[in-house]
Amino acid sequence: MTVIESHSTNQLPVVRSAAIAVLIAVGFFLPRLLGGTSVAYSTLTTIAIFAVMCYGVDVVLSYLGEVSLGHTLFWAVGGYTAANLSVKYGLNGWSTALATVGLCIVAAGFLGAVTLRTREFVFSLVTYAAAVVAYEIAFNWDAIGGSDGIVGISALKLPFGFATYVGGTQEELWPIAFVLLLLTLAFIARFRRSRLGTTALMVQMNPPLAASLGIDPRKVRLAVFLISAPITGLAGWLYAYQRAYVGPDMFESYFLVMMLTAVVLIGRRVLVGPLIGTAILIAQQNLLSLGGDWNKIILGSVLALVLIFWPTGLVGFFRRFGKTRA
Amino acid sequence: MNIAQQIVNGLVLGSGYACIALGWTILLGVARLVNFAHGQLYMLGAFATWYAMTRLDLPYPLAILAAIVALAVLGALMQSAMMGLVMTQNLTSLMIVTLGLGYVLQGASALIFGGNPQTLPGTLSRAKVDLGSLWFTWQDVLVLAATLALYGAVWLFTQKTRFGSVIRAVAEDPKLAELFGINAKIVYLLVFVFECAAVALGAALVAPRSPILTSMGFNEVIMTFVVVVLGGIGSIGGALVAGLGLGLFIAFFGAFVAHAYTTAAAFAVLLALLVVRPAGLAAK
Repeated sequence: MTVIESHSTNQLPVVRSAAIAVLIAVGFFLPRLLGGTSVAYSTLTTIAIFAVMCYGVDVVLSYLGEVSLGHTLFWAVGGYTAANLSVKYGLNGWSTALATVGLCIVAAGFLGAVTLRTREFVFSLVTYAAAVVAYEIAFNWDAIGGSDGIVGISALKLPFGFATYVGGTQEELWPIAFVLLLLTLAFIARFRRSRLGTTALMVQMNPPLAASLGIDPRKVRLAVFLISAPITGLAGWLYAYQRAYVGPDMFESYFLVMMLTAVVLIGRRVLVGPLIGTAILIAQQNLLSLGGDWNKIILGSVLALVLIFWPTGLVGFFRRFGKTRA
Repeated sequence: MNIAQQIVNGLVLGSGYACIALGWTILLGVARLVNFAHGQLYMLGAFATWYAMTRLDLPYPLAILAAIVALAVLGALMQSAMMGLVMTQNLTSLMIVTLGLGYVLQGASALIFGGNPQTLPGTLSRAKVDLGSLWFTWQDVLVLAATLALYGAVWLFTQKTRFGSVIRAVAEDPKLAELFGINAKIVYLLVFVFECAAVALGAALVAPRSPILTSMGFNEVIMTFVVVVLGGIGSIGGALVAGLGLGLFIAFFGAFVAHAYTTAAAFAVLLALLVVRPAGLAAK
């Protein structure tokens, strides 16, 4: 089955670093290369934010093998934290981001602790229910926005001591989204090689081996769930500033289906998979849109068809194709 | 005091929950499959009934039948598409696939039926019964009677007939069951078709109580989860008791605490149960 690619990295570290540096530079100037229009900036910013959102689910789905249907909850926690703290208390971006991480860990800790003893589908079911219930609370609780949500979130301010970066327009938000995406990618790459990442894979693929090594699968599951939540949460945090509005629509199943589709489309356990998946899906929705209902049909069908016909995603499809040709 | 009225309301709500959850109980408990499109199937069952009554001018009983047939066909198509995943017992992928299919159903229904709320025409749901200070509708009586009858029939069928043990044999080990000459694919297909038909019937019976929208279904899914887990996964009697109990709890919670947070309250019950008894109330 799928193995984590063992990159032949050690031979050519310089070439590899240079290639990554070039990729990062091209990535950063991509909106300008695509014409520098506001559509290019907003589409790429959205792709970066949504990709980070998807990486939260990716950690749980790819390395733990569990399906979290509750990550819209962390996405909304990020958005609501940014909106409430910046509008009501005038806090800057660092404070709201820190609060987002903290609240996401608390929420994930609670959900993870409650579902610690549950089997796979009960876990999915409870996380799903948690998101629906959080929606109900967000919809009815006027103190955090209620059914109208919070409008007029001011521009994202990130003070650096000597100067303050202000992300008001899509063009100004792009560098922040890009850095957030890079940090997420670096974190995931590090996680894949970490003790927790490899242990999680072992618990998923070979439970008897993990048990014989004295690993407690519950602890691993909880730890992975805990680190996945702030990733999606920080995406929601930036999304609030991008839209200047948060509301109960952050719980819509669109985001959930989007997260899962972006991960499975390219293939689980592929580092840049969720990023490419998100880019393809957002490009379809923003540039080749057929209207909201048709987009739903497309997104849902892609998710179902990929898993039915190419369970290993497009990567597995191309690999198999390559094998039969060779 | 309206305690007696709340008990009536609770039984009315609870029989609805149990009715909608019946298909899921069988699917999960007997065949060990999951279907996250359940809420959208409920929505589609309600809209199929509505379409048959208002556009095709069918009487209510025939409209129910039309909805059941429509969803049974849809269920057969869905299950045929997913058969590879079902036979390999790939539950993780099945969950995600059904979730995606539910999203497709939601988009397609919005295209076909439009985005406006509709109401199912019905004479039963407007026919009130007044017993002193208590009141309910004939539709409520119908739901309760149908739910009890359905649960009784399904219990007899799964426990007392050969086909019931065949389903359980397939759920236990599809490969082994096939060695004994059982066609596991047909069994899975029939169970899934039953789930879809049962949720169509539930929707046709329960949906006339409130306006229907193509975006609905989430609340029904949560209540179904709670009923199935609370009743002990796969226990038919447990699901019925859990449904009625949940209905009573929700009726009292809605009347005396906060009407807006009833789903949250049901979820709190589920969480408390998962911590105390992860296998459900009926587990030994």
